[in-house]
Amino acid sequence: MSERSILLVEDNPGDVRLTREALREADVAVALTDLPDGEQALEYLRRAGTPDGAPRPDLILLDLNLPKRNGLEVLEEIKSDPALASTPVMMLTTSASARDVAGAYARGVNGYVVKPLDLDAFTALVQAINTFWFEVARLPPAAV
Amino acid sequence: MNVLLALIAATCALSAGVAVGVAVAQRRRAARRIAELERANAGLERFCCVAAHDLAEPLRMVSGYLGLLERRHRGRLDADADRFIGAAVGGAERMRVLIEALRRDAGCGRAPAVTQVDCAATVAGTLSALEPALREAGAHVDVGRLPTVAADPGQLAQLFQNLIANAVKFRAPGREARVAVDAERTDGGWSFRVCDNGIGVAPGDADRIFTMYQRGKRSGEYAGTGIGLAVCRRIVERHGGRIWVEATPGGGSAFRFTLAAPL
Repeated sequence: MSERSILLVEDNPGDVRLTREALREADVAVALTDLPDGEQALEYLRRAGTPDGAPRPDLILLDLNLPKRNGLEVLEEIKSDPALASTPVMMLTTSASARDVAGAYARGVNGYVVKPLDLDAFTALVQAINTFWFEVARLPPAAV
Repeated sequence: MNVLLALIAATCALSAGVAVGVAVAQRRRAARRIAELERANAGLERFCCVAAHDLAEPLRMVSGYLGLLERRHRGRLDADADRFIGAAVGGAERMRVLIEALRRDAGCGRAPAVTQVDCAATVAGTLSALEPALREAGAHVDVGRLPTVAADPGQLAQLFQNLIANAVKFRAPGREARVAVDAERTDGGWSFRVCDNGIGVAPGDADRIFTMYQRGKRSGEYAGTGIGLAVCRRIVERHGGRIWVEATPGGGSAFRFTLAAPL
């Protein structure tokens, strides 16, 4: 099976690097692409899977507070686009606000997790995400 | 004798009446005081949540990268270095426990208590609370048509109050302060504007002014602690909206925020 790919939409470079390192600590082999704002993420996703775009990611990790288009707006666009709607999206954010959690699920998010404050918990989280989405869950067949 | 009794009876009745009057006034004062304390307490809770949220980001970096240092380099530096890293990791862990306790005790994850709020009445209330400051600044505030939205009334009042008070505070020297508040319907809800003709926000400051204790480069000579806009950001985000600042053609600022329509 070819290597799984994750798109991480995150504007804080410290968090991007930490996610890469946590994946490494968890011994998870995935191709991670990162983009710093909502607009670039949507542009990337619309081109993904076409001849001039990258392959479509198997999983999207989305921050809430993003420049230009925020995470909920990006989520809404993904879930209302038939070509993208079946790609699982997980919110990975600092917000534990009940309103944000409800808003994300109302827009069809596949999971919502709060960024843990320490490395052990973060490593365990990326390990759990990998195990669930790439080993346990059945994903839709890759788009042609 | 009868006259004396009547006099005593009248005096008693009078003092009882006075006592009732005093008790009513005391109760009213007490109720006002309780309402003030409740507002102050709610403000303090919001302050704690902003502090906890803004401290969590740098802590995640400190803790995360210290963790990496510990895992990958323990035993490869000298014994002192291992002890120093161990002490730093312990400190970051204690800080994590403190921040989580602060979040829990201030009820930070709680959804706002949303009701239908008439923004026109809220802004009118804000203007009367700010009346002395507005008069002192000779400020003129234009209020356009404002909608009724689903929001926490206390939080919405604080949002308008912070934004309008800022617009007046950061007025340009030698220019009469003019502030305009209005709103327009958008796809997902409402978009509000609080515009001023003040000193404006330096282009590089547009994001950082919404972070706790971060003040704009132009704010140097104005009193303040850098909390007001961080609280505004929290209030708007807890209502599912966004807040940002734009420059106005005249060099002032337009603070804009959205409030989502109810889910």
